[in-house]
Amino acid sequence: MKFTRSLLGVTAAVSAVVLLAGCGSSGGVGGAEPVAQNTGPVTINYWTWFPPQATLDAAIAAFEKQNPDITVKLRTFEAADYQKQLPLALGGGEDLDVVGVQVSAMTNTVKDYLTPVSEWGDDLLDGVEPSMVKQTEEIASDGVLYSIPLGSIGSPVLYYNAEILDSLGLSVPKTGGEWKTAVDAVKAARADVTPVVFAGDPWWQEEMLFGIAEQDSPGLSDDIIGGDGAWDQPALVAGLAAYKSLFDDGIVSTDVLSLQGSRPSELFTAGKALFYLDGSWQNSLLSADYRGANKIALKDVGAAPLPVLNGGDPAVRALAEGGLAIPANSKNTAAAKKFIAFMLGKDAADVWAKDLVLVPSRVGYELPDTVLQSAAAQDGFANVSQVISAPTSKRDSNQDFLNQVEGNAILDVLRGATTPEDAAAHMQAEWESGRYPHGDEK
Amino acid sequence: MIFLAPLALFYGVYFLFSFGLLGVVSTQRVGLTFQHAVDVGWQNFLLVLTDPAFQISLFNTVLFGVVSVLISLTLGFVLAMMLASGLRLRRVFYIVFLLPSLIPLSLFATVFGRMLETSDGAINQFLRGVGLPFLAQDWLGNPTAAYVAIFVLLTYMIGLPIMYYTTDVTQVNASILEAATLDGASIWQIYRIILYPLLRTTHITVILSVLLGSFRAFDIIFFSTGGQPGGRTAIAGTYIYQATLGADRVGFAAAASIIVLVIALTISLVQVLVQRKKKAS
Repeated sequence: MKFTRSLLGVTAAVSAVVLLAGCGSSGGVGGAEPVAQNTGPVTINYWTWFPPQATLDAAIAAFEKQNPDITVKLRTFEAADYQKQLPLALGGGEDLDVVGVQVSAMTNTVKDYLTPVSEWGDDLLDGVEPSMVKQTEEIASDGVLYSIPLGSIGSPVLYYNAEILDSLGLSVPKTGGEWKTAVDAVKAARADVTPVVFAGDPWWQEEMLFGIAEQDSPGLSDDIIGGDGAWDQPALVAGLAAYKSLFDDGIVSTDVLSLQGSRPSELFTAGKALFYLDGSWQNSLLSADYRGANKIALKDVGAAPLPVLNGGDPAVRALAEGGLAIPANSKNTAAAKKFIAFMLGKDAADVWAKDLVLVPSRVGYELPDTVLQSAAAQDGFANVSQVISAPTSKRDSNQDFLNQVEGNAILDVLRGATTPEDAAAHMQAEWESGRYPHGDEK
Repeated sequence: MIFLAPLALFYGVYFLFSFGLLGVVSTQRVGLTFQHAVDVGWQNFLLVLTDPAFQISLFNTVLFGVVSVLISLTLGFVLAMMLASGLRLRRVFYIVFLLPSLIPLSLFATVFGRMLETSDGAINQFLRGVGLPFLAQDWLGNPTAAYVAIFVLLTYMIGLPIMYYTTDVTQVNASILEAATLDGASIWQIYRIILYPLLRTTHITVILSVLLGSFRAFDIIFFSTGGQPGGRTAIAGTYIYQATLGADRVGFAAAASIIVLVIALTISLVQVLVQRKKKAS
């Protein structure tokens, strides 16, 4: 009885508060009052998810040596966690001066708390690849540039164990037929090696789908995700069917779809997989130094675009990434700008670019000769960078739609649970349902 | 009461503010920055309720809860009685049964998720190793197999129900058990006819805690199957988590949270009313 009363009491109280709170105005931050700036020696707070902490520590040490009156206080996050932490921190008035922005995933969720680049950094854009600046600008729903990208990434990329490939006398596959030949060869010779691995997580399926579909239909992702194209158009249905053909032809086993998270990478770096599909953020694997430092016992790794399945050309979706921005409430804008200028410059690039995670946005930048040592690594990086520099679409996603609908629909096709046509129709129906704001609804 | 007042006020403010914010946001289209909110009235609730993915996740939440309850009331009860009856090495068994409930669920579920891999997963490796390769499954690709895997995972979670039963069975009047033994009752008859009915209040505690716990089982599902295959093993918690990932979807996620909260409160209320009715009769 008492418990019932308490329960009803709590329910009533909650309802009352909800009603009272509902009478208030919608949330939001105050107006754009100019923020008083600090003078003299300052400490700037820098939050990011990239580059890795060790790399950043080296870059920051070099910056502080050049700028003894500025101290950089760094906090790094795991990528997915950062997507939630940063908007909440900015909304809560956290004292931040420089923030890393995941250009595709985060620009629109944090832009309201950032100072447009036009107010602090137009002069820094001279040394930055114009195409990457344009991509960063266009990703914002209002077309304003809020961050300056350190580089760009693209996917999918085919990484391969060059040692195994060489031992079987095979060349890097450029077509579906050649890929099938290589897979059959490794199946016959090395039962302990999985021919092809990639993540079975829903999010990765979009990368694969457009990487395949855009071989015949460049710009398909831009048309659907960035434009007003339909998910059930013939080009996408054909892409789903082509992706499914990898499984039907025995190039990829459905067992691979049970690999979650970092498992594909673990298998590849342990020498248990010949081909590994991921994004260019795995380019670090091409570096012998990186492999040595991370105890990866692979002798040689190469990279190539995804083999062309049904004619057409290699395709990759790419986008500027690693945006650096200044929050609107920063009291150290000048120092923050200095730091961003440094990070975009050659000295810092020499520190972070050797990780190979991003293709640097600095115009004319070339990696130090010592970074890539084998022919497979050098050719692979050059080929992948070339494809990324002329992407078939922007690497843009509607994250919630991808995780809840799109990824699962693609997986159902791959597992034979539904047809490409039905999956495409389902995606289109959900896209139009109003549950996933996109385009002008955002 | 006077000592509890500050704490009650502290928690009251926190919860009421949270629920109030949830209520307001649920009627808006807004992102994590809570800026540029657009009032949409009840639209978020309508969109959530008509979402097939939400309906599946809600069904799974209740299903997994019911399965957990059944496991607790049967296997949990029997194991608890065995442990309470002076079994040898019972402390070792206690540790074995309680361990999955005591270590972080995310860690436990992650390890279990790895075991489900089709090719290199420990479960299929074991089945192939003992000569039962036909039982090896695509645990994350076949809906039936995925459900079975989750039911097995939930079975590992019987540590707390066992603890409830072993604690309460000590309160049972020993003379009743002695009388039953003298009358020639077997051990199973004592369990079924005497102890099971006597521990009715414990059953209710177990049912309520396990059922409501299923609404907080986010980490168990997220880190094991991740909702696979095709979102068919998703639960309310994973649905709401996914909903927060998109731009301008916080209001939608808030609406889903309120619906789930109302359902959980309703279950609690029904449980209390049933209990009261039983007491009255």
